[in-house]
Amino acid sequence: MSRHSQNGPIYEVEGLVIDLYTPTVSVRAVDGAGFYVAPGETLAIVGESGSGKTVMTLGPLGLLPEGVAVDLRGTARADGKDILSMSPTDLSRLRGGFFGVIFQDPMSALNPMLKIGPQLAEQARRFAGLSATEARKEAVSLLARSGIPDPEDRYDRYPHELSGGMLQRAMIALALAARPRVLIADEPTTALDATVQAQILALIRQIQKEDGIAVILITHDIGAVSVLADRVAVLYAGQVAEEGSAIDVLTAPVHPYTRGLLASVPDFRSDNATGTKEIPGIPPNQAQLEPGCRFADRCELVQPQCRTHRPPLVKVGAGSVPHRVACPVVIAAEGIVTHD
Amino acid sequence: MQRMFMRRVGLALLLMLAATALTFWLVTAAPGNVAALIAERAAGAGADGEMIAKIADDLGLNDPLPVRYARWLGDALTGDFGVSLRTGKPMAEEFAERIPMTLALLAGGGVLALVLSLAMGIAGAASNGGIVDRVLHGLALVGASTPNFFVAAMLVIVFSVWLGMVPTFGVAGLTSWLLPWITIALFPASVLARVVRVNLQDTMSRPFATTGFAKGLTRSAVLLREALPNIAIPYMTTFGAQFTLMIIGAIVVERVFGLNGVGAFFIEAIRFRDFIGMQAILTLFVVFFVSINLLVDVLAMLADPRLRRPRKA
Repeated sequence: MSRHSQNGPIYEVEGLVIDLYTPTVSVRAVDGAGFYVAPGETLAIVGESGSGKTVMTLGPLGLLPEGVAVDLRGTARADGKDILSMSPTDLSRLRGGFFGVIFQDPMSALNPMLKIGPQLAEQARRFAGLSATEARKEAVSLLARSGIPDPEDRYDRYPHELSGGMLQRAMIALALAARPRVLIADEPTTALDATVQAQILALIRQIQKEDGIAVILITHDIGAVSVLADRVAVLYAGQVAEEGSAIDVLTAPVHPYTRGLLASVPDFRSDNATGTKEIPGIPPNQAQLEPGCRFADRCELVQPQCRTHRPPLVKVGAGSVPHRVACPVVIAAEGIVTHD
Repeated sequence: MQRMFMRRVGLALLLMLAATALTFWLVTAAPGNVAALIAERAAGAGADGEMIAKIADDLGLNDPLPVRYARWLGDALTGDFGVSLRTGKPMAEEFAERIPMTLALLAGGGVLALVLSLAMGIAGAASNGGIVDRVLHGLALVGASTPNFFVAAMLVIVFSVWLGMVPTFGVAGLTSWLLPWITIALFPASVLARVVRVNLQDTMSRPFATTGFAKGLTRSAVLLREALPNIAIPYMTTFGAQFTLMIIGAIVVERVFGLNGVGAFFIEAIRFRDFIGMQAILTLFVVFFVSINLLVDVLAMLADPRLRRPRKA
């Protein structure tokens, strides 16, 4: 399977609006954003904390923490089927079998009262249709495949008996146990030691190559993006600022926010004396949103129209993977050719 | 784990010793004279000072308190709790007759409290803010704030007097146990139902519950299979505390429903200044409290894999 698959999208979200309510405030976490991912492809969703990347990806699946009231509009399709109009039972089956999710902190995301292995075996039994003995074998081989030494022994272990890195491997094995077609990794390395982070990313890449599944990597780690991603979507304050192939977005970014984000990443290989550059200001308060471009208050290139009109995503360049940018100011100023 | 267990047992034994010593001192410090009471029983109004002094001497009541406690303890350890001043029967005999009655009351009430609280708590969490949840919350509030003598009176009026379904007094068959069980279980069931509900709600918002949903479980499956095991420890601890408190309730309930248990005996012992009987019953209560708490501690340790199988360093 080629890295830039020409297959249609397997998970696709369009015009998504998600409002989160607590008794005191309502926050527009996702504001008309969308993304798609095709089989065999890795999409990285990049943005800072609170940009809505997790809410946008897991929200349509009903995987936001309980206790937060959610209002969700737009379209979301998995394998062509409309997710948002599904019955709770159908959605449960889809969550378990079609999607696999790796959460950020394996220490809190794995149930302390349940042994690791039997949970994997149950997934294999329910969703891959294996018998009890087959499922146990499958669970042990999944643990082994996820790089856990002595998997027979680890099968009967509780989470507290494993280290953080081993737990994240177990989490990956659990996400794969139902043989999903879309693997969602929500900041899979954030809670881990630096030395373990690279191993976990390598493991995800290996699985993606071997199984040819779609991977969605939610991250603020540009290093992880450059290692894994085929395509990148940059999210800012609940809206997509820029999306395109990893090469286009990382080496030829157009949106001022993407440029700022990349400039703020330390590059240890260069001896550039200027070092990193931070983006001034803070993201807007998403409880009280103004019309216009979300990035306007922090943008060096801001024009009057930025504050009144929401910039549309416009296709730039002629590559086979669409590169879209929501900044008419840069496009006009640099004379970038658009294709819409 | 084993060392922790041995420590708990040692601590429990020490606690029993201290508590019985304290009650022994309190009972002897209470107004009234054992020797005079015995003399009165034996000789009626004819008891004189000489007779009382002789009885006190025979019973060793003039010895210092620690000596008397040591002697009492020695006897108690061999199962001899003395002879009741009120009934004239050895306390061991009274225990043999009455403990089964109280145990039946506590066991039935305990099972009822367990079943009711889990059912109410889980149903409330399943309803999650819906009408069922709110009604159960209200019921639990009422149950936790109504005194048991009032509950008993209401139950008797409705089920015995108006409906004539069960006898008002004494025990004859299983149905006659229903009202005492309901009365004694209502308070702990209400408190425990809230413990189940609140802890389940808290657990359902933890990241591993989200993982449960991601595994494809329905909400009720996440509730029962992922969240419920995690509330075992707070539930068991509160259950132990509530269960030991039920023996206080037993004193009232046995009296109201005419059950011949140790609680009813205790009231009579106090009225009659039966110091021997009081000390014996208090000792029984101490043993009950301490051993239930010990049992709960051990069960909670066994229920938590982090305590049962600590991480090897």
